[in-house]
Amino acid sequence: MANEKVKVKKKRKKWTGLEFFCTAGLTLLALLIIIPFWNTIVISFSTNAAYVKSPFSLWPKEFTWDNYRNIFRNGDGLITAYKNTIFVTLVGTLAAMATMIMAAYVFSREFPGKRFLFLAAIFTMYFGGGLIPTYLLIKNLGLLNTHTSIILMSLASVYNIIIMKNGFEGVPMDLQEAAMIDGANDLKIFAKVMLPLQKPLIATFSLFTAVGFWNNWYWPMLVLNKSDKTLLQLFLKTIIESASTLKEGVAAAEDLSTMIFTMGIQMASVLCVILPIMVVYPFLQKYFVKGMLVGSVKM
Amino acid sequence: METKVKAQKNSEKKKTILTEIWRARYLYLLLLPFLVWLIVFHYIPMGGIVMAFKDYKARLGILGSPWVGLKHFERIFVTPDAITSIKNTLQISLGRIIWEFPMPILLAIMITEMPGTKVKKVYQTVFTFPHFLSWVVVSSIMTSLFSNSGVVNTALAGMGMEKVQFLGESGFFRVMLYVTENWKEVGWGAIIYMAAIAGIDPTLYEAASIDGASRLRQIWHITLSSLKPTIAIMFILKIGGIMNAGFDQIFNMRNDVVKASSQILDTYIYDITFLATPNYGFSTAVGLFKAVINFILLTIANQTVGILTGTKMFSFRKEKVKQEKPAKAKAK
Repeated sequence: MANEKVKVKKKRKKWTGLEFFCTAGLTLLALLIIIPFWNTIVISFSTNAAYVKSPFSLWPKEFTWDNYRNIFRNGDGLITAYKNTIFVTLVGTLAAMATMIMAAYVFSREFPGKRFLFLAAIFTMYFGGGLIPTYLLIKNLGLLNTHTSIILMSLASVYNIIIMKNGFEGVPMDLQEAAMIDGANDLKIFAKVMLPLQKPLIATFSLFTAVGFWNNWYWPMLVLNKSDKTLLQLFLKTIIESASTLKEGVAAAEDLSTMIFTMGIQMASVLCVILPIMVVYPFLQKYFVKGMLVGSVKM
Repeated sequence: METKVKAQKNSEKKKTILTEIWRARYLYLLLLPFLVWLIVFHYIPMGGIVMAFKDYKARLGILGSPWVGLKHFERIFVTPDAITSIKNTLQISLGRIIWEFPMPILLAIMITEMPGTKVKKVYQTVFTFPHFLSWVVVSSIMTSLFSNSGVVNTALAGMGMEKVQFLGESGFFRVMLYVTENWKEVGWGAIIYMAAIAGIDPTLYEAASIDGASRLRQIWHITLSSLKPTIAIMFILKIGGIMNAGFDQIFNMRNDVVKASSQILDTYIYDITFLATPNYGFSTAVGLFKAVINFILLTIANQTVGILTGTKMFSFRKEKVKQEKPAKAKAK
């Protein structure tokens, strides 16, 4: 009822200049974000000839799946990359979440040495050994060309731990004290009392972590150089790099219809890489935002 | 006598600490995986920093390689490429503070002021989406749009205008760095400010409008001033990251034409380590130089903002952390 009233009121009310300005500005921004994606989709389904005629069109003029087929012309690297990425994302997210949740819970409690350990963790957010010592460490551990190294490198994020710690601190201490009086130890309190309460937070950060693994390319680029170990982002990078060298070679070709459409292959690959995120994001967006809020309210 | 009492007291203290530690044993257990990871993947590499003071030879190992003092650091300041990359890093970071930092604040205010809850939600989904894509992906999309044969240039040519080398001219490339990062991150960055705006006491606005303050004045005096602590924290983070001018973005978007003018410290370190004959000592020195400056900047920024607004990202003294809490409660 109350809601309806508000709606009616709003409809009757004329927009102020400010409201109009904001709506117009934001609509423009939304278009500026959507159009590049739409354009990517259109190019990926276009033929080279149609693209050369008019690179921007609202709809693919000569619809074709060729660009997607051409991704596989040099073998099924995409499938391998997909399999590997799914594996790294799943295992990595599980391992990382376990490590981070436990640490976050512990840091929400008081215990001897907490300040020192917490500062030691925060310190690494702002200071580190840098590229070479870390690379040599991976090398010396014998982890070059392994997916383990990729998972271990992003096992925890101190920033996420701080946010999750704040989440745990939001739970009234009485609850834990009651459990303690009942004779539960810290492990039990963590598993039985605190974890169930933090389900939304855990879901949110699992999503963040999973996206992080999915998008991971820097260390994979440095560490993985065998094609059977490749990950999606790495695969996309190779496609783009090989395409840009291919372009020069084929530029002389006259017949546009038989020429391999590099831009089309690139855009098709881009879509293959982002497809899972694109599909689930609209439904999960509110969890991402919520997760961000949990942290920021206390920050 | 006295010493005996003291000793007794000391041992009692020890006992209570030991019992406290024993009581917290499960907590340490839960923390263990993280601590091991922290030591292995952060503190051991930090130990590797000694390489910056050594001539690293793979066969001698880090510890066995000879010390060379500050040789590598001296070399930074006589290597033109290194100096250029420091300059570029500072210029690009400054550009980001000017052209990127205010945008999420502006966007958050605009979203708040926009009427229509449902449309707002759809828009927010659109705005935040690009944040979840990697720079590998975003740079491919941007290249397809802005390269010489890309959509924008073909459209310009079609309209009879001259093509613009958005990605192939150093001045434009800088601008494109700001534009594309805004495109990717502005929506996500706005969330934190929107949360802060949502936490503002609505009676403040009511009172102000009764007093006859226009909406713009309300935004200035209530919204923006309530956002001060959040802005302060975000600014600290930004200042602390001044020496990272955006490796992922530049690395994925650069090409040979703009390479020199967009060479930042991180890309420089990458190039000299993986593309040329590596000199690990020198590379590490450049990295350390960068990290130390970052850390100093962060500390200064943290102190300054703390004095100005009473909000600090972190404090090394315990009392101050405690003082912070009531102040925040008020801000809410």
